[in-house]
Amino acid sequence: MPLIGALPQPITSAPLVLFVYLVLTLLLVMALTSAIVRNTLWAIGSFASSMALVALLYLTIAPFLLFAVQLVIYTSVSAALLLGLLRETSGFERPLTSPFGRRWIAGGAVVAALGAVLVLVVAATSWPTGLTGSFRPGLGEALTTTYVVGLAVLVVILASAALGSGLMLAAPTLTHARGGGPLRGSGPRR
Amino acid sequence: MSAGLNLFLVVSAALFAVGAFAVVARRSTIAMLIGTQFMFAAGAIAFVAFGRFGPGATAMDAGPAVALLVSLTGAAELAIGAAMAVLLYRDNRTFFLDSDGE
Repeated sequence: MPLIGALPQPITSAPLVLFVYLVLTLLLVMALTSAIVRNTLWAIGSFASSMALVALLYLTIAPFLLFAVQLVIYTSVSAALLLGLLRETSGFERPLTSPFGRRWIAGGAVVAALGAVLVLVVAATSWPTGLTGSFRPGLGEALTTTYVVGLAVLVVILASAALGSGLMLAAPTLTHARGGGPLRGSGPRR
Repeated sequence: MSAGLNLFLVVSAALFAVGAFAVVARRSTIAMLIGTQFMFAAGAIAFVAFGRFGPGATAMDAGPAVALLVSLTGAAELAIGAAMAVLLYRDNRTFFLDSDGE
């Protein structure tokens, strides 16, 4: 089937392209760090950073509503869920080095430099509204008209997930046998 | 120098690979949960990129709308996964799926 009309043009504005490349590079680095690092707290921090970078990416190529939802859901709620999970179970692992150690200072300097570059690029970009697609109304309207069935199904899924996780967490903790292992129903004690 | 559909699809594939690596190679439930979230995000990025640059960009709200639904589904999966991780920790006093750890 032949295409009708021309394909949308790629982004060619130099500051915006530089910003997109920077965000994508940082995103992959943060994701890889999160997948590799063994300290759980650092992994969660890298995960939250990478999701914030995804939100920044959405700011350049997607409607503003998607950016806001991504920022609220992943960067705050997901990180809060994981941190709450860590706090409720094993607690936070204390870092081996002091907060004023050499590694912390070097890491802080790298983060500050990257942040400065990010702020510089964001400040220097003219952000043409038509090019970025930001602040374009229509997504909320499409969600409530064209995709209303999917949205309704998703609300049911979210409610079921909240109910299910709440029920799982509210389940009574099994008492422990004298040997230290947990009791499992009416089966033999371990 | 430009940023088009190919760039976003390559990054999406790389992010999906990172998530799959975390799910397959790591034994910690938290790392595996994070890996699944990366895989969800990779799919959402691909949808958004197709919505913005792809042949179907005449309906520009389709990609972001699907990405939004994918994100919310990922949040539901994370809630269930976190609860399962808590249950696993209550049972074994560790997040690792085997007793050896990593």
